[in-house]
Amino acid sequence: MKKSLILLAALPCVALANVPIMGTVESKCVIQTDTSGVYGNPSPSELSTDSTDGGVKPIIRYDILAADHYKAVISYPNSFSSSPVLADVVNWTGDVTVGQTSDAGMSAFESGKIEYNNTVEFDLTIAGSVWFDVASTADYGYDKSFPAGDYTAMVTAECIAQ
Amino acid sequence: MYRSIILFVAFCILGGHISAHQFTPTYPVLEQAPIPGVKVLNMSIFNNRKEIAWYSINVYDKDWNNLAFASTDKLINLNYLERKNIEVYVRTIDSNKVVYICSKSKTLASVKNPSIITSRICSKVKNEVFNINSSLSGVWDSLGRFKLYES
Repeated sequence: MKKSLILLAALPCVALANVPIMGTVESKCVIQTDTSGVYGNPSPSELSTDSTDGGVKPIIRYDILAADHYKAVISYPNSFSSSPVLADVVNWTGDVTVGQTSDAGMSAFESGKIEYNNTVEFDLTIAGSVWFDVASTADYGYDKSFPAGDYTAMVTAECIAQ
Repeated sequence: MYRSIILFVAFCILGGHISAHQFTPTYPVLEQAPIPGVKVLNMSIFNNRKEIAWYSINVYDKDWNNLAFASTDKLINLNYLERKNIEVYVRTIDSNKVVYICSKSKTLASVKNPSIITSRICSKVKNEVFNINSSLSGVWDSLGRFKLYES
């Protein structure tokens, strides 16, 4: 009798044991701005993100949640998105390098990178976090002085599904 | 016991940092829209970039040519930590060509940071029908060539 009562009492509890499973599909490649860059002005005709020139390199962090699904495509600037009026040509140079990594094997990203124009591609074959350092230098004309004003250039960081 | 605590803390730290511009799913599937002749892609975008409030959407073929599409929001206003579900409509005749669907951050002209970082995330439509059609057309091509030689 007691046993039946206990079982009867337990029944509603069993009926109420609905446990919802919640979840959100997270992106497998996440781009995060770690450091915004700053151009230093080591000479009147040059703007550079190099620390020896008084600049700060932009740093972009990629969080790779699953390997082999995405490639990182990073482009350093080849024009100003805003600047004073420039009458002469600006010569652009730059580079993208692998900085800090959460996995030692990610150093292979650097040796396997593909470069074309102002773009560098990395195959994200290892899961984890990787920081990319972007260098950019702008030379104005032939030793001409950049006009005074604010200069803005754009770095593009992309995750392309494979 | 300690191991579980360390794992939990590590999960929280990593989980807490998985935040920025996100565009999901990685491999979306084209579905039939309620309107005849139109297919739809259901995407989700999440903004965790404080300095960005606008994103654009674009659709491309395998050679990165722009494809025509319609969406409720072509230019999306997303506040910090806001998620939005978007529907992207493409014509059924173009559906075999759709390969990449991308979201790109947009920066306001008033922003005066010396170096702006634009983020773009592209998902890929793995169009099996397209691949089968391509292989079949290859087979037909070879058959055609065979017939040409035969005659």
